[in-house]
Amino acid sequence: MTEKHKQFIRNLVPIFTLLILVFGIAAYEPGFLRPRNLMTVTADTMTLFLMASGATLVIMLGSIDLSIQAIASMTSCIVAAMLPMFGGTALLFALAAGAAAGILSGLVVNYLRIPSFVATLAIGGIMTSVAFWASNERSIYISDEDKLVWLNWATGTTAGIDHEVVVGLAVLAVLSVILSLTRFGRLVRAVGSQERAVVASGINVNGVKFFAFVISGFMAGLAGLVMAARLGSGSPTLASEFLLPAIACIIVGGTAITGGVGSIWKTFVGALIIAVVRIGMTFVGVTVFAQQIVFGLVLVLAVAMTIDRTKVSVVK
Amino acid sequence: MASINLRALAPIGVFFLLCIVIAIFSPNFLSVSNAIRILNASAIPVVLVMGATFVILMGSIDLSIEGIVALCAVVTASLVLNDTTAANLGMWAIPFAVLTGGMVGAINGATHVYLRVPSFMATLGIGFVCLGIATAALGGFPVRIADRGFRALTLGRTLGLPNGIWVATAAVLVALVIQERTRLGRYVFAIGTDEVTARQSGVPVERIRILVFVLAGLFSGMAGVMAAAQLGQGHALIASGRLFTTITAVVVGGTALSGGVGSVLNSVVGVLIVVVLTNGMVLMGVPPFVQQGVQGFLIIVAVSIALDRRQLEFVK
Amino acid sequence: MKTVLELRNVTKEFPGVRALDSVNLHVGRNEVVGLIGENGAGKSTLVKILAGIHRINEGEMLFEGKPTSFRSPRDAFNHGLAMVFQEQSIIQTLTVAENIFLGREQEFLRFGIIDKRSMNSAAKVELAKVHLNCEPSEKCSKLDFAARQMVEIAKALSLDGRLDSDIVILLDEPTSVLERREINLLFEIIGELKAKASIIFISHRLDEVLEVSDRIYVLRDGAVVHETASADASITGLHEHMVGRQLDHEYYRENKQRSSFGDPVLSVRDLTIDGELRNLSVDLAAGEILGLAGVVGSGREAFARCLGGLMLPSSGEILIDGKPVKLNQPNQAVDSGFGFVPSERKSEGIVSGLSVAENMTLAAGKRFSRFGFIRFDRERTECQHWIKRLQIRTPSVKTPMQSLSGGNQQKVVLSKWQIVGSKVAVLDHPTRGIDVGAKEDVYELIREMADQGIAIVLLGDTLEEVIGLSNRILVLRDGEVSAQFDAPAGAKPDQLDLISNMV
Repeated sequence: MTEKHKQFIRNLVPIFTLLILVFGIAAYEPGFLRPRNLMTVTADTMTLFLMASGATLVIMLGSIDLSIQAIASMTSCIVAAMLPMFGGTALLFALAAGAAAGILSGLVVNYLRIPSFVATLAIGGIMTSVAFWASNERSIYISDEDKLVWLNWATGTTAGIDHEVVVGLAVLAVLSVILSLTRFGRLVRAVGSQERAVVASGINVNGVKFFAFVISGFMAGLAGLVMAARLGSGSPTLASEFLLPAIACIIVGGTAITGGVGSIWKTFVGALIIAVVRIGMTFVGVTVFAQQIVFGLVLVLAVAMTIDRTKVSVVK
Repeated sequence: MASINLRALAPIGVFFLLCIVIAIFSPNFLSVSNAIRILNASAIPVVLVMGATFVILMGSIDLSIEGIVALCAVVTASLVLNDTTAANLGMWAIPFAVLTGGMVGAINGATHVYLRVPSFMATLGIGFVCLGIATAALGGFPVRIADRGFRALTLGRTLGLPNGIWVATAAVLVALVIQERTRLGRYVFAIGTDEVTARQSGVPVERIRILVFVLAGLFSGMAGVMAAAQLGQGHALIASGRLFTTITAVVVGGTALSGGVGSVLNSVVGVLIVVVLTNGMVLMGVPPFVQQGVQGFLIIVAVSIALDRRQLEFVK
Repeated sequence: MKTVLELRNVTKEFPGVRALDSVNLHVGRNEVVGLIGENGAGKSTLVKILAGIHRINEGEMLFEGKPTSFRSPRDAFNHGLAMVFQEQSIIQTLTVAENIFLGREQEFLRFGIIDKRSMNSAAKVELAKVHLNCEPSEKCSKLDFAARQMVEIAKALSLDGRLDSDIVILLDEPTSVLERREINLLFEIIGELKAKASIIFISHRLDEVLEVSDRIYVLRDGAVVHETASADASITGLHEHMVGRQLDHEYYRENKQRSSFGDPVLSVRDLTIDGELRNLSVDLAAGEILGLAGVVGSGREAFARCLGGLMLPSSGEILIDGKPVKLNQPNQAVDSGFGFVPSERKSEGIVSGLSVAENMTLAAGKRFSRFGFIRFDRERTECQHWIKRLQIRTPSVKTPMQSLSGGNQQKVVLSKWQIVGSKVAVLDHPTRGIDVGAKEDVYELIREMADQGIAIVLLGDTLEEVIGLSNRILVLRDGEVSAQFDAPAGAKPDQLDLISNMV
């Protein structure tokens, strides 16, 4: 089997997994396949996808971003706290805060040369403190009026299509274009594949890494906005439970933790797999509490299956 | 060469400087009762860093600390006299709980070594599995401990000092002997410095890696027992925030994340720095939520000072 | 004399290369055997076979008369064959004693606890054998290089008395970073060691091999071409055996060598790189090929990496077209007109996960993008042009780089810099690890690049290659230029002249 065939099969495995899971559930509960239900499931999945979308770029570099859940929680607090006073500006402010967190991670990784998993763990801690500060240590409710005026773009429905799905598809399209049609996207793959050769070719690798972290922070921030809109509130622990599923859906989709291989649609498929697994577990009667067990195992197994062992001689 | 010694002594200097600064702002700081309070608050973190230091000395990381502590606290609480199960093993619950921790450590190590998954991913996933088990086993509720004799493990006093301090001291002594006087301890340094050479010199790298994760699991298990005794209950969230404090303490103490450099004694100093800082912030009226941010900042500063950048051509 | 170690008709083949060709070699008890040969003669393959890193294809290895095959360096060590490599196997964070007995702590264990006192005193005994006066409890990071090397030899000697078998110690280029005084001490120790062990001594410094060895083997092209007692050998005689064949003019396309050049492009003034290179000055014109000759550590690799922006100069000046340029980062080097072809093709030359086209335009990205978006049409046209012109064998421009052969990969790397329009091509071992036919293609390509007016700095894989291709040759020794030769077509300098300035 040539490398090309292997690649092809590797691309198809997540899609087949998704289809098998969907039809498996449909056999159990035929109503699952109703368009309205599928729409709802997809819409429910989009916050997870948004969080994982930007982080996909970081993982493709061979790095990781462990601050996304903290960033999402923080932007939910910022938007909830600022909406009554500033209106729409609050949205921009929240997104900017997400991007700023990414900027910090990028700077710390590039200039202090701290491995990304520690750097983003630390930045995540700082962002959690910011979230507590912004929210005064409690959940902040968003008034229905503010929600209708400022957050309908995220939670409304137009012509039977939930806006979450529209936002998700828009992000999918934009990031896919960036990854496959721009020089930046190509360099993300190149750095993840063979950083030394990219450096030797005279390319500013720090810039590539920096922008990947900024995009990751921005997307996590956007995810926080959509979460706040859906729940009608912001809280400093709103997204705490999302880090594991977010990384899991990137890996399950087929993006390797070792970098170089991956794409946004894979993460999209991965997010749907995670969502469908979750629904399936509920059907089978696995409690919400126990689902974390499954996700933990799925993450480890998916990493083990997708990792490129030729690239790491010493696994630490 | 003098600079290396300076680096090793720097954490102690930082510790004293910190004490002086806090004492100036808050005279209550320098009292016997506050000193005992600080030592008592350090007891659980000290036990945790003992294991974490070995893992980090090896160049790996253990992100499953919170999961293991929570799981072991739940196991402990369920085995002593309590309000949920019929068990009443008294002190015999301790070895069961500690061994549970060791077992999870073995799973961490085996996953990391045999599936060749980077340790931060393996332990992230398995840590969540542990949290899931702790949550699911109790349906999200805590187990309350009714066994006073058991709670004396941390609440009682011997020779005027809380027992927790004695337990932590014993843990440090055990860790120190392992580090300085056993093959395991010396091999940890060999692997962390240069795994390829260590392997060529006959060091059984795989076995040592697994053993170190078992060791870390045992210490985390003991910390879980202590947490249960201290709070009088076992529940899934009992350990939240522990991971962050542990990693901060290890790196602030001067153990390098790249492996090979550091000591369990350094980590004890690291814990004291973190705890004194927290204590001082409370005394000075700084809101508690700032702590995570401050710790995040400390991680970045400590790692960037301790990192030997000549060794790291590329940072992922 | 009893034979301790023997190789019989040992052959080792790698895909496309026969690295060792029925080598016969034996080492007697208490004998010092020298092993010499040029780069690529097969020395390192031989060492790796002894160490158990490579397996023998044909033939056999006998240790104390019994057929043996070691599984790993550790296995070899446990059987009595200890190696002291140039890249040391000392763990710096452990103490001297811990390093000597690493992996063999068993004899010092009391109930699982290491008895440090007895370990340290046992280490003291081994250190005395190499006259190293340091505390066994000292961390190895506090010792200097020479002392660490002595610790390694002490580690090897600790086998004495712990094994029933004979001991063979292999010293691979042990003198390359030592001062004269330290070398003398090492030789003294080798003289004493002979009483206890057999020694294989590998070095590129022929005078040292002659001085220390009893018998010498010369390797060339994977075969033993000469064996002699040191007493009967001379430096020039050994040289001739090492170098062997006459220059093949055809092979290096000497008929295409230019004799007239364009304007001066590159000027280097007093370039110094601390610990690597001192006061190198050279000028290079468009279309000229400058060869650099020198052994490992002579400073030529450092010079090449410096021109690629991968190593910081300490002082001095580099000018392109008369204007000073800064080369602190690879991107500055590329912008200034340098194109660096690294010796480590697989890790630094190509991005294996990207396609052929993506690799070709990697350094020239801005030309093939508009507002950050890639101009795929333009890219494809340009890449197809180069694939045709350089006869790169690839199914399409989209083929992943990793599925190309080494020679074709190297052509892609060379085309990368031609697409950028580099003025100076720095070729660090451009033919390393590619097969013979592809080598000729690369030589042809180098001549073409010169014809286009590209100034070329060449670090050849062999001396022959440097002489055959270059217009002018700089010989470096210990970080300084030791000689300069003109190498016009038909009047090439002799290899022996170069070598005598290299060592």
